[in-house]
Amino acid sequence: MNYFADKQLLVADIFSRYPDSPQGRRSALMPLLREVQDAEGFVSEARMAEIAALCGTTATEVRSVMSFYSTYHTLPTGRYHLQVCSTLMCSLAGSDELWDHLVSALDVQPGDVSADGRFSVQKVECLGSCGTAPVVQINDEGYYENVTRSKCDRLIAAMRADIPPLPDNPVPVTVREDGRQMTATGERVGASIHDRGPLPMPTRPGGEA
Amino acid sequence: MKVTVDGIQVDLPAGTSAIDAVFHAGRDVPYFCAHAYLSPVGACRMCLVEAGTPRKGKDGEFELDEATGQPRVFWMPKPMASCTMQATEGMHIRTARTSDVVAKAQAGMMEFTLLNHPLDCPTCDKGGACELQDRAFEYGYGASRYGFDRRHADKHYALSDFIILDQERCIHCKRCVRYFEEVPGQEVLDFIERGGHTFIDTEEGGLPVGFQGNIADICPVGALLDNVARFRGRNWEYDHTPTTCTLCPVGCSITVDARNGRLERVVAGENRDVNELWICDAGRFGHVFATEERLTVPLVRVGGELREATWDQAVEAMRQGFLGHGGNVGLYLNADSTLEEGAALVALAEAIGTASLDHWPRYAHTPMSTATLTDVATADAVVVLGADLGEEAPVVELRILEALRGGLLPPEFAHGTAIADLRLTERPSRTPEKLAVIGRESRLWGHAGIRVAASGPDALTRLARPDTPELQAALRLLEGAGKPVLILGADVLNGADAAFSAALGSLAGRVGAKVLALPAGANSRGLGGLNLVPGAGGMPYARLDGVGAAFISRLDPAAQGLPGRARGFTVVHDTHLTATAGLADVVLPAVTGYEKRGTTINLEGRLLPLTQAPLRAGEGADLIRALAAVAEALGIRPPVRGLRGAQTWLEGRYGLRLAELPAGGLLQPPRPAQDAATGTAHTPNLWKPRMVPHPERRGSGVLGREARTELWELPMAPAPRPGGDD
Repeated sequence: MNYFADKQLLVADIFSRYPDSPQGRRSALMPLLREVQDAEGFVSEARMAEIAALCGTTATEVRSVMSFYSTYHTLPTGRYHLQVCSTLMCSLAGSDELWDHLVSALDVQPGDVSADGRFSVQKVECLGSCGTAPVVQINDEGYYENVTRSKCDRLIAAMRADIPPLPDNPVPVTVREDGRQMTATGERVGASIHDRGPLPMPTRPGGEA
Repeated sequence: MKVTVDGIQVDLPAGTSAIDAVFHAGRDVPYFCAHAYLSPVGACRMCLVEAGTPRKGKDGEFELDEATGQPRVFWMPKPMASCTMQATEGMHIRTARTSDVVAKAQAGMMEFTLLNHPLDCPTCDKGGACELQDRAFEYGYGASRYGFDRRHADKHYALSDFIILDQERCIHCKRCVRYFEEVPGQEVLDFIERGGHTFIDTEEGGLPVGFQGNIADICPVGALLDNVARFRGRNWEYDHTPTTCTLCPVGCSITVDARNGRLERVVAGENRDVNELWICDAGRFGHVFATEERLTVPLVRVGGELREATWDQAVEAMRQGFLGHGGNVGLYLNADSTLEEGAALVALAEAIGTASLDHWPRYAHTPMSTATLTDVATADAVVVLGADLGEEAPVVELRILEALRGGLLPPEFAHGTAIADLRLTERPSRTPEKLAVIGRESRLWGHAGIRVAASGPDALTRLARPDTPELQAALRLLEGAGKPVLILGADVLNGADAAFSAALGSLAGRVGAKVLALPAGANSRGLGGLNLVPGAGGMPYARLDGVGAAFISRLDPAAQGLPGRARGFTVVHDTHLTATAGLADVVLPAVTGYEKRGTTINLEGRLLPLTQAPLRAGEGADLIRALAAVAEALGIRPPVRGLRGAQTWLEGRYGLRLAELPAGGLLQPPRPAQDAATGTAHTPNLWKPRMVPHPERRGSGVLGREARTELWELPMAPAPRPGGDD
């Protein structure tokens, strides 16, 4: 079973964003990984080999790049993938206790998916929301902040009923399907190959800091 | 370019790295990640130095120090990694010897490197020859202030059947990763995970056999270990013998490590002109035949079966056997024998008056080779005709790949090869369009821009008069190049004749190409030059049943499907009881190429010395002594009785001076070999059956692949998948 076999247009579009050279082809690695992960929830060994063949590299290189980022998963994830920040600030605010509670309440260990297929958990490094520690990110949707034990229980109950509440804050910057970065407010940041041109410059008076 | 290191002024070529400037000045700086034949990356941060340069003012002149009137040196604010920093005109460098800042910075880096490194030197195979151990002793604090648990990871992780990784010992210098990317061009090893969790792994189901063993040599710590030699001895217990490998015609420099008379390990030696620092896996791991199932005493056939005997009894048996055969004696030897052994055989054949003498493997006709391996590495076009380099001469493949990455030969300094050649880059861009491979599919195909499937000697005629677009492209490549090299392998040389040589000469002359015809055996080129081929009426090796009595040294015709016996009487001189030895009347114990003194000529015509490793060989004798015994049995005085005599014979007849060879060998002008029909074709095969090591049998304690699978991959549990996250 070949994931990209019937997605030639998408593959061509991703490759068109990079220079047409061996090095350029390798650059398409990340969007291809993202594509597979968004569709399947994780990237299996077979997919790694497939992406390697597309990029003209080896599965070892693909796995090396993939394993560098904690956002790519080599193991299947549940419908709700809970990412608990475990860096200093959240740790001081009790993320270890939150993690223990989460793991025992959901009866799931990192790398596993709960029996009903809903939950998987992962410890991640700083999510950049230290002021509202402890923070849990669910899928790529957004941050659930100041997660106390009761808030955690409410969240779990809501997800068990498949009506998760909206996140307290959306993920600050996301990458859209066309490879463009977008802030949570819908503002475009960064450049994209699809609309080359000068970025809108801030028109504030005065010099820059 | 003048550079001052610790007050010592040295003159260096532009582009030199600061680390080479330091070593050229005779000073020292510790390093782990830099490597003479790999790109500098600055991964380990050990080679810190203080550096400063003069600065030019607005008037374009150097700013001068008011006190001394000399150009003022502007020091960089922090210590710099010297391996990735280019030395510039007027640069001043301070090493730990003169700078406390550098000494402290290096000791601090050493402490970081040692944080997670296990203190298992007493059980580590690298102990005693470990760069980390030495540098920690020289540049470290001597004590660790780290009072917490170290990282724990898999200590027996088999990357392949030959290489075992100890993940705890790895210091992430990335030498092995860069080696695979840059030298054999196989991206099969990489860092997995990040930060303190980083480890080395492959996703290809094991490392490819070919050149993987080199990573055990270049690993600065005991993380990557040779599984064949694992736990076989400590470095200071080994007898290190620098010698030349005689498994293929490249003649790589190797060091043979023996302990208690057993050959335990082979490591690569450096010869900048031949193998640089790399050897193939057969040369490194295929040495087990030298210690296993050796023949140690002569055997004599008594009453239909071979019985152990003394040399005197063997000589007596030979005297009886040779009776009545007169001059109808055939002498055959393996083409990996030394020049001295060949000389002894030729001299004896002349004394007997026999024309039946031969070496094997060889070709009936060998075209003249004019290219050296350095020519190959610096060529701007390489065409490989009918060669499977992986079986014939593996290191030539590495030299071709070197040409494809730009043919950069690292410069030489007072301390030897440049430690950090800044022209080498990570993930080098390659030029596959400079390589054309014509012949059967081989490992080299993956690197070639032009590939043509062909077989047989007419590949050359087809190249000279191309009939397909690919062949036309290959010919255009040759014609358009300034320094092209044409490499010929067994597939074309098996059917070669004088007409072939003429066609080759005209093509090479027209395009200005140098030719490298790969000899069939390790010393075929040397022995062919001694005219060690059947004369008029003589029987070649494949027809040794045509002679009355035969002496066969370290050849196994019976296993090749050729006649394994002479008509009347057969003497076999071999290291093992081979199929041919099993048929013989007298079997004499021989010594392997690791236990000989002598000289061999490699594929480019370079004289390379062999030295004797102290291996237990029982009563085994080299060919010169075995031939002396044969001469005694024949009742004639042996014309060559020892190594010195053979060298005198060679000097007298061919003007070869072999007694005092430089360590790197000596290039010899080509000598045309006499043509003689062989009667059979040569099929190159690098890994002979007895060379395949079984690490489990050698008691390394590492389980075989099946046992590993059985242990870890339980049938009820899913196979463990690579963990990307926890």
